[in-house]
Amino acid sequence: MTSNGIWHKALNALGRVGLLPLLVLFALILLSLVEPRFLRQANLINVLRGTGFLVLIACGQMLVLIVGGFDLSVGAVVALSSVVSALTMAGLGADGAMSVWTIIAFGFAAGIGAGLVVGLLNGLCVTYLKVSPFMVTLGTMSIAAGVALYISAGAPVYGLPEEFTRIFGRYRFADLPIIVYTAAAAAAVLWLMMNKTVFGLYVYAIGGDPAAARNSGVSASAVLISCYAICGMLAGLTGLLLTARIGSGEATLGSTLMLESIAASVIGGVSLRGGVGRVENVVLGALILVLVTNAMNLMRVDSKIQTIVIGIVLILAVAVDAWRQRIRGRRAA
Amino acid sequence: MMRELILNTQLSQRFNRETLARTVGACIMPLIILGLSVVFGVLEPRFFTGQNLGNILVQSSFLIVLAVGQMFSLIVRGFDLSVGQLISMVSVASALVMAHLASTMPEAPFLAVAVGLGAGLAIGVAAGLINGLNIAVLEVHPFVATLGMLGICQGIASTISGGFPVFDVPDVLARAFLHNRIFGIPLPVATAILVCVVAAFVLNRTVFGRMLYLVGSNPRASVTAGIPAKRVLVGAFVTCSLITAIAALMLTARTGSGEPLMGGGLMLQSIAAAVIGGVSLRGGEGRVLHCVIGGIFITMLSNGMNMVRVEGYFQMIVLGVVVITGVFLDRLRKR
Repeated sequence: MTSNGIWHKALNALGRVGLLPLLVLFALILLSLVEPRFLRQANLINVLRGTGFLVLIACGQMLVLIVGGFDLSVGAVVALSSVVSALTMAGLGADGAMSVWTIIAFGFAAGIGAGLVVGLLNGLCVTYLKVSPFMVTLGTMSIAAGVALYISAGAPVYGLPEEFTRIFGRYRFADLPIIVYTAAAAAAVLWLMMNKTVFGLYVYAIGGDPAAARNSGVSASAVLISCYAICGMLAGLTGLLLTARIGSGEATLGSTLMLESIAASVIGGVSLRGGVGRVENVVLGALILVLVTNAMNLMRVDSKIQTIVIGIVLILAVAVDAWRQRIRGRRAA
Repeated sequence: MMRELILNTQLSQRFNRETLARTVGACIMPLIILGLSVVFGVLEPRFFTGQNLGNILVQSSFLIVLAVGQMFSLIVRGFDLSVGQLISMVSVASALVMAHLASTMPEAPFLAVAVGLGAGLAIGVAAGLINGLNIAVLEVHPFVATLGMLGICQGIASTISGGFPVFDVPDVLARAFLHNRIFGIPLPVATAILVCVVAAFVLNRTVFGRMLYLVGSNPRASVTAGIPAKRVLVGAFVTCSLITAIAALMLTARTGSGEPLMGGGLMLQSIAAAVIGGVSLRGGEGRVLHCVIGGIFITMLSNGMNMVRVEGYFQMIVLGVVVITGVFLDRLRKR
């Protein structure tokens, strides 16, 4: 009787928290036992940096997924932001008249602005032309990648201010690179937005039942467009920080980030049907994805086999989640 | 009497308006194709030479087959992101089988080719079965299931080929495929026609085909009506992958080698071709004719842009704008 009760409580707790934190904990313990090099400071910083980039872009993707959309263009936006900001900074820095900080500020404005433009275009097409998000963002993906390649002529853009790469690419505050703080801040702001503001409430409402949300007076168009715009700006910011890390503007940057951002969101329990998703779980989803890759790198698994493993992990994670929800649904019914 | 007459005229008026809307709607894409080809023809007279038009037809046959495959998953409200990498995997695997058999028994190149083709089709069916079972039984969203499959296929393709193209494929394959004609039709086009005819027959004249539309347009009602929805779903994804494997073998025959990077951009192109042609992303709607129109449109656009020397990077921008506009016009038609 009592053991049965404990079992029930444990199952309920598991149902509430989900498998994700347990999975992360398990992976961390297993990794540090099997592979001592995992715990070295350099490797841990590597993991955090990789997670940071993925979290930044997955946060935006999550927002769009929750309102029932898709953003296939985020990877191309990263490339566009990289090239546009690098060209801006290199161009302004050429004559040496401006102070370095003004140049960097213009670079940031250009990169995030490029993301904002693509995001707005996505949002406007989805809300006013009523074209499916999949096709709209497929189109803008091609456009953004084309523009990035066109204006950079397919070659890397050099000539970035030295301070830009030194501070945003390599500087460490308390041993951690800037990207980790940026990602943490973005996740925190998004968490507050989703849980403590009316906007967050609207986002969930529109994703859960668009017609009901509209009938209760929510301005669905404004919310939808803002979600796509925020997603675009976060992708632009990711592009800027990746550019700082690499030291040049590259039109080929971020090609894998589109699928990875969706994978991280989905592993983090975001529903592709909209209305469901939590920031903290997306962070964990991104962490799991990076941890699996890092573990395979440490164990010297061939990079070709890594893609196979990632594919299987992705399907398994979602299959287990679907199974858990079916069980919960049966118990509730 | 009078009343009946009025009713009749009202009915016929409404009927006329509906037919009119439908006819105009059905003509939008062909009209756009026609207009576009006039523009290309004016800018570059060589566009209208028989050789170039033949080229467009041969090139589009590959995309049409791919779009027909993709349509099967789109009809049941899914999509298949793994088609591109499946093409790479089938291409490499069948080429390896052919190369191996050809080296062990050089006297029978045709047998080697036949076994290789069979192996490619079998791999396609296996991949489709895994996709379908994941989606129907484990209830994984098609996006995730096929995204996972994309990674798996990509990994297998690059592992078994070592990342290099597989040469040593018997020459008979490429020679037979590229130089033979059936009733004067080039073999790639003939294959595409065959695939289209069989697919149209399956969709329109078989129980399985009709069930696909029912499951796609209303999954819950189809279950209530006693349709084995899960089996139909699995069947849709198996058909999708099988047709994709056929396209992969066509592409392998064209290049005469197994290419681990062959599929790269073809996944998005196959979805774009199907949807621009009129297949709905919401499921339950799609005909073979849509895929033919979409496939020819995209191929003609890139052929024409090459002819008038539009820069490659700029072509990507045009393609993006065209995809969005095309789908928007399609939405207008349905309203």
